Amino acid sequence: MTRTFQAELLKLRRRRILIAAAVGALAFAVITTIAVLLSADSSGRPQGRGGGGATLESLGGPGGAVEAFSTGASFVGILVLVLFIANFAGEFSQGTFRTLLMRQPRRMGLLAGKMAALLVFAAAVLALAAILSVVASLAFAPTQDISTSSWLTLDGLGEAATSYGIALLGVTAWASLGMALAVLVRSAPIALGIGIAWSGPIEHLTVDFWSSAVQWFPGLLLEALAVGGTADVSFSHAVVVLAFYVIAAAAAAALTFQRRDLTA
Amino acid sequence: MTSHQSTDTLTEDGPNPAISLHGLTKRYGRHVAVDNLTTDVPAGAVAGFVGPNGSGKTTTMAMLLGLVAPTEGAGTVLGHSIEDPGSYLHRVGALIEGPAFYPGLTGAQNLAVVAAAAGHDPARIAELLELVGLAARGDDRFRAYSLGMKQRLGIAAALLGDPDLLILDEPTNGLDPAGVHEMRELIGRLADGERTVFVSSHVLAELEQVCNWLVVIDHGALVFQGPASELMDHSATTVIAVPERDADLPRLEHLLNAAGHDSEVADGELVIAVKGTEPRRLAAEINRTASADGIVLVELSPTKTTLEDRYLTMVNGGDR
Repeated sequence: MTRTFQAELLKLRRRRILIAAAVGALAFAVITTIAVLLSADSSGRPQGRGGGGATLESLGGPGGAVEAFSTGASFVGILVLVLFIANFAGEFSQGTFRTLLMRQPRRMGLLAGKMAALLVFAAAVLALAAILSVVASLAFAPTQDISTSSWLTLDGLGEAATSYGIALLGVTAWASLGMALAVLVRSAPIALGIGIAWSGPIEHLTVDFWSSAVQWFPGLLLEALAVGGTADVSFSHAVVVLAFYVIAAAAAAALTFQRRDLTA
Repeated sequence: MTSHQSTDTLTEDGPNPAISLHGLTKRYGRHVAVDNLTTDVPAGAVAGFVGPNGSGKTTTMAMLLGLVAPTEGAGTVLGHSIEDPGSYLHRVGALIEGPAFYPGLTGAQNLAVVAAAAGHDPARIAELLELVGLAARGDDRFRAYSLGMKQRLGIAAALLGDPDLLILDEPTNGLDPAGVHEMRELIGRLADGERTVFVSSHVLAELEQVCNWLVVIDHGALVFQGPASELMDHSATTVIAVPERDADLPRLEHLLNAAGHDSEVADGELVIAVKGTEPRRLAAEINRTASADGIVLVELSPTKTTLEDRYLTMVNGGDR
């Protein structure tokens, strides 16, 4: 597992990848900050962490520095799903899993090492995005007369850490589902089709006639998780059910990868 | 080439065959890809694994490499059971089903990734790129490589751990004649007497110059294994005689058979088997016999079937 982890990091540490990740994080920070700060007004009430509807009052509180980050993070789930599906399914279509397994035949270690490296990289990019988002918020706050005095307090740092942790949980869950889909299907287009169709239209149409779907469907639970829980789904419920999904997805992927002939 | 072991020292009963398979079978539903394959590859051999497309070569190699699980049978690679590929794959280098690397990474970066995954020393990368003739292109992206360069990078990757056994699946596939020649030269250089090379092809002619051991399969089943020279020894030598007049063919056949030869008419010519005598001496005897009976020959030529002829006969069912 350690060797596969290091091998995967070698791929991710390339300058082209690092620049793309940094530019993506910067774009994320700037765009979400401008969107959230410019759309905030003095009316309305806060909807919760990243739940949209940020007010000048909520932005002036301890969590104001990461309000834009939390809002933006709630939208990156599908992107994470797509990237992980593309990455893992690409290993099948390019035949590179075969190349690696001929050197490192312990399949569980290969899958776990690769997943761990990608999650570490995702965590780093997320952290960079959070930092840049705070910096951008500090830069734009004066234009909206938003007070930043409580941002750099202990409470503010706690809010930032919580927002980052929630975003990382969401990324981990989306990534696990994406990895599992890719390993089970072994085709990027098919896995993407299933993943996007399920988490998009299918879940949202289902909830129209079965309201309890919000408590059990992974995509809807991830939406609730991203905003720290909703009126229908508590944060803890979302975490517990999603943990089950992540474990089940990882187990299904591991079992399939372990037992299936690798002929591609 | 030819620094590898001579045929004389290779036997399938050798003490420690590099590869030993016993009844290895792989079924996909009702399709039998590999059918009860039992064979040994002596350590130190450059063994050709030959068979038509779809005969089970790649599936067999995939089972040796732990990529595909056998349905039945057993085997060992470098003395370890193929059920535990982790116990021997660090001593095996392989290229199977074509070279598979990350298209966005350079050749050198791809080798670094493979070395990291395998726990091999990356310090050898430059040396290996040099060996396979890619030193000047090591910093180019894999996607920019020609097929021949990709194959050579695959061989460089296979050599990363200085393996005791090299398994190469159709390394000449898709190469032009010059590329085939280069690959053959490279395989020859890689065989150093200590290392065993197990290389597959559906074209025997590509391997007969570099291999001293052959395993021939057809429809997943073994049809020949042994020293390449043994296959050649089995090749028959004949003398072809063609009289000026077709009407003389049966008469000449009768005369020669009466004299104790084994001849038969085929495609307008008389084919006489060479048994226990020099082909040229037999040709002279045939000429004398024909001439004594007033038969004029317009052609009289000793011929030897090639290894390829022998192989084609085997895979077309002649020896099954």
